[in-house]
Amino acid sequence: MTCEHLKDEYELHALGLSEGFEHAEIEHHLRQGCASCRAGIRNALLTNVLIMQLAPDVEVPRGLRKRVLASVGAQSTDWGWRAIWATATAALVAAVVWLGVENRQRTDYTAEAKQTLAILNGAETRQVVFGGSVPVPPQGRVLVNAKHGVLLLASNLPKPPAGQTYELWVIPKGGSPKPSGLFQSDSHGSAMYLSPTPVDVATLGAVAVTLEPAAGSTAPTSTPIIVAAMSD
Amino acid sequence: MFFFPLLFAALHSEGDRELAERLKRREPQAMAELYDRYGRVTYVLIFRIVRNTGTAEDLVQETFLRVWNRMQAFDSEKGALGPWILTVARNRAIDYLRSVDGRMAQNAFELETNEHPSLFANLETEVLNSDRARRLKTAFEKLTANQKQVIELAYYEGLSQSEMADRMKQPLGTVKTWVRSALKALREDLGEALAV
Repeated sequence: MTCEHLKDEYELHALGLSEGFEHAEIEHHLRQGCASCRAGIRNALLTNVLIMQLAPDVEVPRGLRKRVLASVGAQSTDWGWRAIWATATAALVAAVVWLGVENRQRTDYTAEAKQTLAILNGAETRQVVFGGSVPVPPQGRVLVNAKHGVLLLASNLPKPPAGQTYELWVIPKGGSPKPSGLFQSDSHGSAMYLSPTPVDVATLGAVAVTLEPAAGSTAPTSTPIIVAAMSD
Repeated sequence: MFFFPLLFAALHSEGDRELAERLKRREPQAMAELYDRYGRVTYVLIFRIVRNTGTAEDLVQETFLRVWNRMQAFDSEKGALGPWILTVARNRAIDYLRSVDGRMAQNAFELETNEHPSLFANLETEVLNSDRARRLKTAFEKLTANQKQVIELAYYEGLSQSEMADRMKQPLGTVKTWVRSALKALREDLGEALAV
């Protein structure tokens, strides 16, 4: 079959939708280094990308950016959320202080609360973190859904050495660990990672995390830093 | 309403080269720039396919993780980031549709091979400009109802021509004619630069 006969199939082939004889012929031409078919497939990729963009515009959910970035350990610069958290925190502190004042019949504690707020709000207030040098083991939770996969929420993750990354493993009962994706933690040692592959919950023994080379491994090469055993 | 943000992103091919290099060095902040450049178009495409906000969010995250994890195979000098990301995004969404429908297609393997980063080297991204986008939109609107339907079934539902024939209860030859004539009309309106 000539390239002229195949050119109407290039777009479908580039989409992974060509079938039967035409599919086999294009593959054959490409394997033979056919310049015409190579160029045709390249152009088809671009045509396809343009057609894909005929999709009608919709609003992108707030928070998606933060979620995507968290999954690779990047910090979001979404100041809108920061402002919301800051406002919520300030409101909480104010509420706690107010309740404390009410419960203590507005006695001397009013002055103490004012002083507390003055410290919290004072621009000249300095902050020192304590207890940071004490190693805290990773903690968090693993959520498993047969249809939607595994969601890992973790904190206190150690900073990976240069050239290494975290790898998630799904371990069937009595079976070998299955690689289920790579992820990074953020600068605070937290990570949220979704492995969307469906899971056979009935045979799932554990979910684990190891440190692996940046390209990932097909089997664990280090001691797990997280092991979440599934209870029956 | 149609949306062509990738066309504008394609104008930043120089920026894409530098961004791709930073992604290859696994700089997390480069991912923020990648999302700002292509996150919206990725979500819009995936949502059109799966039509569910939560699922679309999951698949956008999976798309960006997949790109992040496969960046080492991407040619940052010659590669076209936008077309690659959109292809990965469509594949994830179509893969999801197939798993929900229980139709693991015979060509499922192609979904993996048609997104290999090497395929997106030396793409002439300058052909992605707003003039061609407008022409494509106009050309699409001029298609017959059957032609529009087969294009949507292929691009947004991942159906092969045989599967379309089953779905539409039409002879395979008829469906093939609609697909070829529709693509021919769109290709011709896109101009010689995209023609083989």
